[in-house]
Amino acid sequence: MSEVRTSKLDELRVVHQPLPRHDQAEKIAGTTKFAGDLAFAGMLHACVVRSQVPSATITRRDGDDARRVPGVVAVLFGEDVPNNEIRVDVPGQTVVVGAFRASMQVLATDRVRFHGEPVALVIAETEDALAVARELVTIEFDDLPVVSDPEQALAAGAFQVHDGGNLLAEWRIDRGDVDPAFDRADVVVEDEYRTQFVDHAYLEPEAGVGWLDDDGVLTLRVATQVVEHYRDVAKILGVPDSKVRVIAPYVGGGFGGKEDMTVEPYVALAVWHTRRPVRMQWTRNESLLARAKRHRNVMRYRTAASADGTLLAHDIDILSDAGAYAYLSALVLLYSTVHACGPYRVGNVRIRARTAYTNNPPTSAFRGFGGMQMVLGYESQIDEVARRLEIDPGEIRKRNALARGDRLPVGQELITEVQLAQTIDAVRERAGGKPTPAGPRKRTGRAIASNMQSYGRLVWLNDSAAAWIGFQMDGSATVRCGVPDIGGGQASSLAQIASEILAVDIDRISVHFGDSALTPLAGTTTATRQLLMSGNATYEAATMLRDGMLGAVGDETGQAFDSLRMTPQGVLGPDVTMPLVDVLQLCRRRSVPIEALGTHFGPKGREVTRDLEGGRIFPDFTFGTHLADVEVDIDTGEVEILRYIAAHDVGRAINPLSVAGQISGAAVQGIGQVLLEEVVMQDGVNLTPGLFQYLIPTATDVPDIETLILESGEGLGPFGARGIGEPPIGPPLGAIPAAIADAIGVRPTTLPITPERVLSCIAAATAAAGVRGASQEGAKS
Amino acid sequence: MSSAHEVETSLKVNGVAVKETAGAHLSLLRWLRDIAGVTDPKYGCGEGVCGTCTVLVDGEPVSACIVLAAQVDGAAVTTAAGLCEPDGSLGPLQRAFHECHAAQCGFCTPGMLMCAASMLGEADHTLERHEIREGLHGNLCRCTGYGPIVDAIDAAQGSAP
Amino acid sequence: MFVKPFRYVRAESLAQACEVLRTADGTAKVIAGGQSLLPMANLGLLDLEAVVDIGSVEGHRGVDENDGFLTIGALTRHRDLERDPTLIAQQPLIPAATSWIGSARIRTRGTLGGSLAHSDPAAELPLVMTALGAEYELTTASSTRVVRADEFHVSYFTNALAEDELIAAVRVPALGPGWGWGFAEISRRRGDFAIAAAAALARVADGHVVEARLALGGVHERPMRLADIESATTGASASELDARIGPVEGLQAVSDTSATAEHRTHVARVLALRALTDAVRRGEAA
Repeated sequence: MSEVRTSKLDELRVVHQPLPRHDQAEKIAGTTKFAGDLAFAGMLHACVVRSQVPSATITRRDGDDARRVPGVVAVLFGEDVPNNEIRVDVPGQTVVVGAFRASMQVLATDRVRFHGEPVALVIAETEDALAVARELVTIEFDDLPVVSDPEQALAAGAFQVHDGGNLLAEWRIDRGDVDPAFDRADVVVEDEYRTQFVDHAYLEPEAGVGWLDDDGVLTLRVATQVVEHYRDVAKILGVPDSKVRVIAPYVGGGFGGKEDMTVEPYVALAVWHTRRPVRMQWTRNESLLARAKRHRNVMRYRTAASADGTLLAHDIDILSDAGAYAYLSALVLLYSTVHACGPYRVGNVRIRARTAYTNNPPTSAFRGFGGMQMVLGYESQIDEVARRLEIDPGEIRKRNALARGDRLPVGQELITEVQLAQTIDAVRERAGGKPTPAGPRKRTGRAIASNMQSYGRLVWLNDSAAAWIGFQMDGSATVRCGVPDIGGGQASSLAQIASEILAVDIDRISVHFGDSALTPLAGTTTATRQLLMSGNATYEAATMLRDGMLGAVGDETGQAFDSLRMTPQGVLGPDVTMPLVDVLQLCRRRSVPIEALGTHFGPKGREVTRDLEGGRIFPDFTFGTHLADVEVDIDTGEVEILRYIAAHDVGRAINPLSVAGQISGAAVQGIGQVLLEEVVMQDGVNLTPGLFQYLIPTATDVPDIETLILESGEGLGPFGARGIGEPPIGPPLGAIPAAIADAIGVRPTTLPITPERVLSCIAAATAAAGVRGASQEGAKS
Repeated sequence: MSSAHEVETSLKVNGVAVKETAGAHLSLLRWLRDIAGVTDPKYGCGEGVCGTCTVLVDGEPVSACIVLAAQVDGAAVTTAAGLCEPDGSLGPLQRAFHECHAAQCGFCTPGMLMCAASMLGEADHTLERHEIREGLHGNLCRCTGYGPIVDAIDAAQGSAP
Repeated sequence: MFVKPFRYVRAESLAQACEVLRTADGTAKVIAGGQSLLPMANLGLLDLEAVVDIGSVEGHRGVDENDGFLTIGALTRHRDLERDPTLIAQQPLIPAATSWIGSARIRTRGTLGGSLAHSDPAAELPLVMTALGAEYELTTASSTRVVRADEFHVSYFTNALAEDELIAAVRVPALGPGWGWGFAEISRRRGDFAIAAAAALARVADGHVVEARLALGGVHERPMRLADIESATTGASASELDARIGPVEGLQAVSDTSATAEHRTHVARVLALRALTDAVRRGEAA
């Protein structure tokens, strides 16, 4: 079977229906037990004591005063951790640091590298005792130099955050003949774009409960996107992987922030040490201080185009801030590199991408995973080419749009249809006329931006996911799948897929999910992979189960297998109608299984080298276009988004409500990054450690997101679905700066676009207009 | 004048009388969650800014994380669970949230519901969408983009919460 | 949330609360609505032996009108300031500014006295009280005194209150005939602390300013009247204000993660103009 899947709409009964998700009713009733909602009688409480300085040698650690506080059970330091090291793979590297595996300590023993780094663990009978004791843990430091940004980190003689140098990883692409392409170009545009540190700021801070189960298995019920961290916890404790179990209940938002471990090692240590149930809940302050952020990128683009708007070449330099520890920085940077040219055909590409250690918070996974920052670069560049050549922004995008069969600069061939042009037409058709300003001191602007974002993990990681489906004898069905549900409807969509194939009413299907011991492992809820992977695994399990049961009916009745169908009325054939419960009894009699395990294996590929000449790197991509109408107050620099339209080709929408929800939520998260959000670091100190300072969009900061779901009918997911979790977060980085540029004449290139930065752009536009006016050009900006 | 580290607090929580003695420093949020076992109001920031702990105290919206339980001794407290019908099924406002796909991760949802209940309870006219958005500005959601929540509140107008 | 246990005192009168403060030697704090104190406690920023709750104290709520002046009890909640019919009729600047405070939840619990005593330079109520020339009635267990708003607010979270002193009431003039008011504020998001805010009052005759009062908040270490701009408006019509008023000068604007000092100073003038313009227009209609 080809890995590209399709489906015909008229053959779908449950899939493609806008069904309210089964998990929502409990969430709305308030009965869903999130990670921090579970309590045991006699449970202990634990908290981490963190470094208050960004870069220092630890000279003294003393827990004795804290231990004397009534109710305190233990104060642990790094020496109390059986294996005080978390190691990270940094693939494909020849740089000194990356060629080895990067590591960090669970609890720092002699050196801290960022504000908020864990140094001690306090365990107590009550949270009140913790409140007192945590302040009595003595940690003394000798300050070291602070490396504040990656440019400084890579300068000659820079202080070394880690031995081996501050360059953590580097990727390169060199395709075609870049310099000659610039020589023959009719237009060359060049600029530098900067993005900021961004926090996931999900509403649920990190939390979890752990206990030793009756069988001696250390069990963690934590807010996580990755139950497979049981392996990492086992390594830290020095026990076999089989002795640790991780359960992910419904998670209060992830967005990549619960992809790396958060509370897991600490809850595990506390349970291991005390042999009692322990709960840990990070405060918002801890969450904002200590959990990994989105990388800030500096992106320098030089782009060559011919007079008809054909993109000839890109020369791109990317530098990202890896923060204090490696985490997933090398892989995030790889995504930046591969996505750097956007959804356009460019024959000649040179990219140099580097990520460097600093004394800022670690940076790691975040929805859009390095790919989304690049939208600011490639969309600004193509807009500038269009402006110089006086080509319509939609037209230039269509002219350069990738198509099936094209190769990306990294060498990967596109194997599915690309409907980028259709998304451009869709948002424009929906938008109608451009709005007029509400007053004399207001300016309005409109722009579009497109993007592509991969779905599914890097192919050399040999991804797989398993799902199990079993019928009950009454005809209801149970799905077991290790997928963590972080709010995107991951579990619910599996019920919809099973319901479609098995013709069981969706209300009669229960989905058990997110348990590393009791549900088949399905891998991480990251990389927009769960619909692709768990969805396909469920599809395959359901198909296997259905075919076995139809075969049993065929054998029993002598009907041809191909003539039989599973329907809500039971198995139907030309001369047979057998209710489901009878089919199940029949299967029992004939020793035919009424359960099946499906394992879906992702596409394979070669591991990359630093110079990225490998070919296929991702399973596939999702394409889309957004349109923004903005109004700028030229006195205050405030930007109001008047309208926002988002169109993506999702192949096939399994649940249009969930698809629209992903698009709307991601667009608003992207808008937040463009206009509001920034983790502000000053010499390694976090100045935005609360939700009064770290500003995410409220209901009054955004308009309704008008979502347009396009369906090319093909993708690698079940029924031809493509992933949609991450892709819609990118286009705001192109659309909003461009709409502001349309309003005021100068394009902001640094995020977030604060009112102050807008006023600077207005001042620059006024100055430019003055020059133009003086030279009698009078061209419109 | 009374003075103590531990105080007895009586609250009527979703119609059920609860009387417990606990630390006087406990916020209403911690009191509800850890003492009364009512976990639908959530901790999101501890500063009264995110709205996940929104509950009604004698019918008015408060951030339970920045009110001491002792301060509201004797009050009637309504949480999202209190919007359910007596048989546990979803109430009208909750049904609108369900039908409009207004919850994704669901963590902000109990607070959103109480904000919405308060907004609709106080409205003396049919609210425009921008007025609903205005009323929601103190409750953060990171999943939905707010549109479906506005849809739900709009749809629920006119029916009792 | 790591809140260290403290003693909870429920006072039955302001005098009782003052007495607890007097004997606590700086280790006790009064709580009315608690909307500033409890966030700080949750952040672990307070080390308190006792919290004195004055929320059950009788009286000190509501608005009394007497001889052209309005006396507002310190325990009046923001929500009640917003909706009080006397204020809406007699000094609408106060309800209008109050509606900018935080969220509905903050306004449900927060009190007038609490906001003034917190003396956040970006807060709305200290600003309007400065613009109005309000007088604060301060009380201890044994004495009372009256301090003007512009003398009361000293600097960031710093004011004239003695350790054992509380605000009991606030006295402001009612809006006189021919007077109009205006309020303008900018924050990064609705309900956030102001980057800058302006409160203005203007007496208008024949469409021209006879006298004006203007105060700015969020910019300097305390709310400030701007005498230069006030006097520059004399004789101006609403449309002439922009040409009349110069840049905002003499304030030491702060830079923080919301805005730089330069931006604050820039938008301060924009807001001053907007508030004054509204005040003059309303004065014309009055």
